[in-house]
Amino acid sequence: MGNSPAPQVNDAPQQGGSLVWRLVRIAALWVIPALLITAAALIWFYRVSTYKYFDDPLVSTIQALVAHVETDVISGDIVLTSEPIDPRYQLALSGRYWLIGRLGKDGMIKAIESSPSFYGASLRLKPGDIQAINSRKGDVIRAVSVGPDKEPLRLAAQSVIFPGTNDKAVVIIAAADRRPAMATIRKFSFTALGLMSVLALGLVFAMFMQVQFGLRPLFELQGRVADIREGRAKSVVGRYPKEIKPLADELNVLIAHNKEVVEYARTHVSNLAHALKTPLAVLVNESQSYDGKLSDIVERQSEIMSKQVSHHLRRARAAVRGQSIGIQTPVFETLNNLSRTLERIYRDKDLDIDLDIDDGLVFNGERRDLEEMVGNLLDNACKWTQVKIHVWACISEGMIEIIVDDDGPGLASDEYETVLKRGERLDETTPGSGFGLSIVNDLARAYKGKLKLDKSPLGGLRTRLLVPSIKVV
Amino acid sequence: MRILVVEDNSDLARQLGTALKDAGYAVDVANDGEEGHFLGDTEPYDAVVLDLGLPIIDGISILQKWRTDGKDFPVIILTARDQWSEKVAGFDAGADDYLTKPFHTEELLARLRALVRRAAGHTTDSIDIGGLMVDNRSARAYVDGMPIKLTSHEFRLLSYMAMHVSKVISRTELVEHIYDQDFDRDSNTIEVFVGRLRRKIGTDRIETARGLGYRLVDPNDLTKPDKKS
Repeated sequence: MGNSPAPQVNDAPQQGGSLVWRLVRIAALWVIPALLITAAALIWFYRVSTYKYFDDPLVSTIQALVAHVETDVISGDIVLTSEPIDPRYQLALSGRYWLIGRLGKDGMIKAIESSPSFYGASLRLKPGDIQAINSRKGDVIRAVSVGPDKEPLRLAAQSVIFPGTNDKAVVIIAAADRRPAMATIRKFSFTALGLMSVLALGLVFAMFMQVQFGLRPLFELQGRVADIREGRAKSVVGRYPKEIKPLADELNVLIAHNKEVVEYARTHVSNLAHALKTPLAVLVNESQSYDGKLSDIVERQSEIMSKQVSHHLRRARAAVRGQSIGIQTPVFETLNNLSRTLERIYRDKDLDIDLDIDDGLVFNGERRDLEEMVGNLLDNACKWTQVKIHVWACISEGMIEIIVDDDGPGLASDEYETVLKRGERLDETTPGSGFGLSIVNDLARAYKGKLKLDKSPLGGLRTRLLVPSIKVV
Repeated sequence: MRILVVEDNSDLARQLGTALKDAGYAVDVANDGEEGHFLGDTEPYDAVVLDLGLPIIDGISILQKWRTDGKDFPVIILTARDQWSEKVAGFDAGADDYLTKPFHTEELLARLRALVRRAAGHTTDSIDIGGLMVDNRSARAYVDGMPIKLTSHEFRLLSYMAMHVSKVISRTELVEHIYDQDFDRDSNTIEVFVGRLRRKIGTDRIETARGLGYRLVDPNDLTKPDKKS
């Protein structure tokens, strides 16, 4: 809406946050959890498949051990006829271990046979794992533990009862350092989370762009409406998507309606006032040609009525002022017409009216209102001046400034305020005597402008009028 | 001096007619735009008082038509419309003055006098011709400071001749400018009025240009430039 403040209305809509951010927040609300769940699922699958490959050699080691165990028929002891061939089982603390033993009460395994890599140490299992091994005899159980070198181990364990061992179960365990697997899983997790974060950011950004682009017709509409309010356009134009077009159409209808209402109010009030003025003129004239009480009363009352009519006509005109939107009035043309007219009205005075008007000034309002303001200022100047009147117009403080200088007697500075306020009280108004300036003041204020009085460098009065300008974009 | 009043309010039209006649003018009144335009188009008025809101044709259109047709009599607009936009439109259409209702009759008369004398090229309301003073403001005439008694027709005749002093004015022109439309026009009466006027202001002040008309002159002005030509 540019930098001019929107008109303050009591029931104005409240600022409800940004529509763009609202849509982006909604997008983020599902994009981020969805991506987090996806990442979690991916990591889980990766972990499962990593450990499946990790576990395969452990299971085959157990199978090899089971195949090479024999029972001593006499003692019932277990004898391993051949050790697994992987050299890492020979190397002390290599991270690869196997073990055949019996479960102790404290979770320690009492080794019967174990790989040399154990270097004399044994394993301790968690009570839960021991229970699983005992209850699921014959199944390969996966568990974790701590190795002889304090390394985290992953192990496969199977409880087996060999024939000839008095049904005493032995536990066969194959274990491996699980740190490499943990490292690849961690690496994968970081990568997955990183990619998902990038994807989430990308999606939200794409959403933002989509919303920006998608809502562009709406922003354009906003710009067109601002154009109308600031007088650069008369109605909403352009192509709009079918969702927004009804809004644009409604706006045009509203603008047309606004113009009609303003015009209607203005026309009817002024018609009434003008219809009354002629009969009043008749009454005044007639009463003046007779003497006596009746004609005195008629004359006095008619004068009061005609003042009332003028006063209320002025009030009604002021009330509809500044309400009509999207109206442009070129300043030079208006001022030029007025000065030509005033030179004719005051032709006996042989006035010298100088116009000094910047190019391209356009008043944001009705031509008749600008004419009314400047007409009264010029009329006042013509009335009091001796010969010279100078009119300037330029842009000042973002508004159009119109200065009228005359070389008449001027006003004392303490009279300025009284002159401008004269129109506010009906009983104090007398036609002429600077009454026009209070009309200008009322009108300027209706346009959120102002009228200031000052001393003119020409010697008389300087009137400075500030009225809204069309913003040149 | 002959004035046309175009005003649709019949009471106001009557009042204006009376006031203008009292001020020494011959007056025609039109109550609608069509009649007003027709009268202005066909009769040689010295000034027109024109209302804007008129039945049939509005005042601005009438004025524009007159000006397009080359009618250059002074026109004063008398209207209830008091906005500057309306004044500008009125002057642009060719008005010479603009007065808003309600108005004071004296104001209208003063402005009319100013328009009429300006159109004839005079700067004051009273014209002095070698001791003969014609005061249009009070509708009176004086010879060497002594007031003379004139009927309204005699004054109109004198006033018109004084406005166009030293110029030969035809009988027809005089008839057109001192009688209103409804008067029974008989150009012989002009000779009667001129005869009466000569007796009151001095025979040598009005010369007869045979076959052409009459001329008001200053009898003491020996140069009389117009006589030689």
